[in-house]
Amino acid sequence: MTTIPVVYVKGQYNHLIVRNLKELGVDSKLLPPSVPPEQIESMKPDALVMGGGPQSVRSPDKLTGELADAARLIRQVKLPMLCICVTHQLLATAFGGVTEAARKPEFGPVEISVIDEGRILAGLGPSFTAWESHNDEVVKIPQGFQSIARSINCSVEAMRHETRDIFGVQFHPEVSHTQKGMDLFRNFLHIVEEHKRT
Amino acid sequence: MDSGRDRLIEAGFWLGQEGKSREVLADSRTVSREVENPTFISKIRGDYGLIWAIGERRNKLPESSLAKMGERLSVAVQGFHPSSFLSEETARLRELTQGKKVISAVSGGVDSTVATLVAREALGDNLLPIMIDTGLLRSGEPEQVKERLSRSPTSLKIRLVHAGGKFLASVKGETTAEEKRKKFRETFYQILKEEAGREGCEYIVQGTIAPDWIETQGGIKTQHNILEQVGIDPATTYGFKIIEPLADLYKDQVRSLGRHLNLPRELSERQPFPGPGLLVRCIGNVTKEKVRVLKEATKTVEAGLSPFNYEQYFAAVIENRFAKDPSPKTVSETACEALGLPKSEVHVDIFEDRITGVKGDQRCYGLLAGVKLSEESSETYGWLQDRLRQLQTKIVEIFPDITRVALLVKERRGGGPLSILVRAVSTRDFMTAAVSPVPWKILKDISKQVLKEESVSRVYYDITPKPPGTIEFE
Repeated sequence: MTTIPVVYVKGQYNHLIVRNLKELGVDSKLLPPSVPPEQIESMKPDALVMGGGPQSVRSPDKLTGELADAARLIRQVKLPMLCICVTHQLLATAFGGVTEAARKPEFGPVEISVIDEGRILAGLGPSFTAWESHNDEVVKIPQGFQSIARSINCSVEAMRHETRDIFGVQFHPEVSHTQKGMDLFRNFLHIVEEHKRT
Repeated sequence: MDSGRDRLIEAGFWLGQEGKSREVLADSRTVSREVENPTFISKIRGDYGLIWAIGERRNKLPESSLAKMGERLSVAVQGFHPSSFLSEETARLRELTQGKKVISAVSGGVDSTVATLVAREALGDNLLPIMIDTGLLRSGEPEQVKERLSRSPTSLKIRLVHAGGKFLASVKGETTAEEKRKKFRETFYQILKEEAGREGCEYIVQGTIAPDWIETQGGIKTQHNILEQVGIDPATTYGFKIIEPLADLYKDQVRSLGRHLNLPRELSERQPFPGPGLLVRCIGNVTKEKVRVLKEATKTVEAGLSPFNYEQYFAAVIENRFAKDPSPKTVSETACEALGLPKSEVHVDIFEDRITGVKGDQRCYGLLAGVKLSEESSETYGWLQDRLRQLQTKIVEIFPDITRVALLVKERRGGGPLSILVRAVSTRDFMTAAVSPVPWKILKDISKQVLKEESVSRVYYDITPKPPGTIEFE
């Protein structure tokens, strides 16, 4: 069985990610970001998903305890990783990108245009409706990453690492109103399975 | 291997013939075709309509389609199997309570009813169901619930505790949503403490589900049934421990468990009603008069919208007192721009009482913009969904203090000091919600009826999804 813990950074939808993964047959539960990376390794997970949360990552040196812990996991854990909403922004800043207050914050339904499906957005193009809830956004993508989806208001709705299996999405694939949200989790599972084989 | 039918029963999707079909799927051929569709699961998850359609059309479907559907649906509910959930949870409850008497707090809603049935399955006659009449339930509701649940197959003997006066007295003079909710919670548990003392009970069962503790813990709103998750120890504060059999489940899973427990459809699919009742739909100050008007409007709105099978629909009441900041004129200009209408056609009022919303995973106790279009434009614009969506998005985007936008359906010049807000949404799990496209004519008919009440001068329709709104108002 595939094991994917969800790192709980206090977002409302974190528990829904666990539910979705369970529905796809994955062994999953919420994990506080304060769990040391060694302990995570001893659980022998196949990947990590990081949820959203109410905090801001605008100033990387003034992160809340939870986000500081989550940033440490992002840097140290060498597993396939999917980061959602605030942890997508955290992923960007942890690798040298920039997050700022969004010029136009997005709440509720947003039309997402896929720039490059790749493996993670396979079958989601050319566009789909996703639900969002964010005041900040990634304005500068870190080196080694590529933006793979955008909306009218936000230029980095999704990004992926060029060589490693690390992905960030600004929207919430875990909420039922996001079209094809489950497909994104299914794609992530395929990536995780491939990673397991190599 | 199980037959398709068995799988559908296990998944809780094999419904009685009374299942009403919405217009989602026209015939059994469409259902068969849908089963072949790779996005089938996300469709059924987003749309109960299809499940009902299966209820009606199932007899016309070939076994091969049923098997396929069963397979896909079991995948869809993996991680939640009502029968194994039930056996694990009843074993846990027996172990925990060791043959002692336990009180169960019933409201008549699906969560507390299913929690009570799970507990009864485990504890038998040691379970004592009680219902607190808070005075904030709908007209006639306490008696109806008691009577309905006393009948087969639920057969619960519920004791009614009348406490209407206590709740109204406790929220008197409170105008902010969180203070009202906290006062309600305190009164609720004080009464349970008295009841537990009287019966000599150590445990109380309640129907908490996942969104309740998620929203309370996340600081979005204080749910009346959440203590431990926010650091209040009920044992030291109130002298009893709390059992929450459904704390990890979402509404659709609770319904599926209810169907597995043979709850009749009217109960398993019952329209949700919040624990603090009309308190959270009576925006701002709570007065007897506002509650009275709201009870009447609730009857009208529920009767008018129940045929549509929206997952949630209701009325709320707000006083016609208006704020000056942000300036209604500026908001009005934004509204004109979003709608592509001249200034003379649009008027915006910003209500003074605040409403609970959620922006970027944070609680946002914000303002409501009531948008009025000229008679002619509103006839045209009533349900130009894209335009209304733009109207709502633009206003909320530009004015951080506004979380809600509602459209005026009808008004009566020189009428009373209150407005009624109508809300209808579609949602699977109450974590996100889309505004339902109620036909404009239906909204007008409802408003006409509501405006017969002297104290009401306006009726609005809320066009805010969740986020940035919440489903309820406070």
